[in-house]
Amino acid sequence: MMDVIQKEMSRDRRAFIKNVLSGTIAGSLLLVIPAGAMDLGNIPEQITGMRDDTEPFITKRKFAFIVDITRCIGCGSCCVADKNEYQVPDGMYRTWVERYVIDDEDNVYVDSPNGGLDGYQEPRKDIPHPVRDTFFVPKLCNMCEHPSCVQVCPVGATYQTDDGFVLIDAKRCVACGYCIQACPYSVRFINPKTKTADKCTWCYHRVRKGLLPVCVNVCPVQARKFGDLNDKESEVYKILHQPHVVSILKPGMGNKPSLHYVGLRREVV
Amino acid sequence: MQQEYKSKSYSHVFKIILILIAVLGLGVAVRAMVMPKTFGEFGHYRGSAIEDEMNRPIRNGTNASCLVCHPYIRQMHLEGVHNTVSCEFCHGPMADHVKDGKVIADLPMKQGEEIKKLCLRCHNQIIRARPKESIKMISMPQHLEEKHVRIDHNCNQCHNVHAPLMWVNQAKAIVGAGGDSK
Repeated sequence: MMDVIQKEMSRDRRAFIKNVLSGTIAGSLLLVIPAGAMDLGNIPEQITGMRDDTEPFITKRKFAFIVDITRCIGCGSCCVADKNEYQVPDGMYRTWVERYVIDDEDNVYVDSPNGGLDGYQEPRKDIPHPVRDTFFVPKLCNMCEHPSCVQVCPVGATYQTDDGFVLIDAKRCVACGYCIQACPYSVRFINPKTKTADKCTWCYHRVRKGLLPVCVNVCPVQARKFGDLNDKESEVYKILHQPHVVSILKPGMGNKPSLHYVGLRREVV
Repeated sequence: MQQEYKSKSYSHVFKIILILIAVLGLGVAVRAMVMPKTFGEFGHYRGSAIEDEMNRPIRNGTNASCLVCHPYIRQMHLEGVHNTVSCEFCHGPMADHVKDGKVIADLPMKQGEEIKKLCLRCHNQIIRARPKESIKMISMPQHLEEKHVRIDHNCNQCHNVHAPLMWVNQAKAIVGAGGDSK
């Protein structure tokens, strides 16, 4: 080590001193400037290896979304996060949480005050019989394999990517509303701000940058799960390939949703 | 007999063909003008729409991204039972706080009744819809009566919102496990 320094010094003293000085200044500056400041561009990756994929489609992965009804506590974190991420005007929901109440007479009452955005602070008071059971069902885009919304769009504004995401091109959408009628799951709406159709995208922009969808990221009880079905170690693969009560909404429609529910009740389907 | 009806002149046919070619040319020109460049690149949609969707700004960070700059909260938050609760759920999205690596505004800290409301979003027993094993449920104001504190107490007077049992456990350690604070 010392010989290297000696050699360097004898080679060009002036340059050596310059280098040492600039190094010292740079080092002291690093201490002054807060280096820890995290920007939204360099958040640690949550889906490993996503940032290395630059092709237009990530076909080597098969993303699936799982909602665990047996875990959801109806806190509405997901709705709050979704609102923060997309700033959809009030009254419209890209994702929402429904409350199902079943009374002793087997009547089913469903409500979703403000889409669950404010959480559920009060029990329902308009039910005449004693309540037998209550549970929450979060809803979002089903990302169908055979999306009827794409089929009906007259201008090619709604499309399905090769990796299975159903997205909306806001620049082409003419807000005719066909897709809203075609969607069996009622996840679409006309966004009053953009005056185009809008819906949950499973946070495509976050996923492509290696982050989890925002609702999955904030769920405190892991009721929402997102992952790659081609990865046999992923949680979603394990849930879908091990004995669990897994079902989809409205299977008879033949849309083949990629959104699965764990512990879905017959009252919901 | 049929011969005499056949005309020798074909100019009207040429006219029709010319008009058809002109219409076709106009159609192609209008199509080229109206249709977006990348339409049909991958399918019946605008190819660059994927990029547009990808470039939508990220507004929410992750807990990891928040805790990089808040080491004191980090330790408290990660050691407590609230370690799965998102920072941005209570404080708001990171995009309102940091831009290009610089702090642009402070996120609001919830105060008073707002805190209680946030706590009860998850912990309110009266909703009766929550899986018992997952989180602790309390009913208000019975919880305050049980703990022998004033009924107008706020949650954060006994529970640190980041690590709800931190102060409780510290108090237990001081008075001993058999103390009357339960």
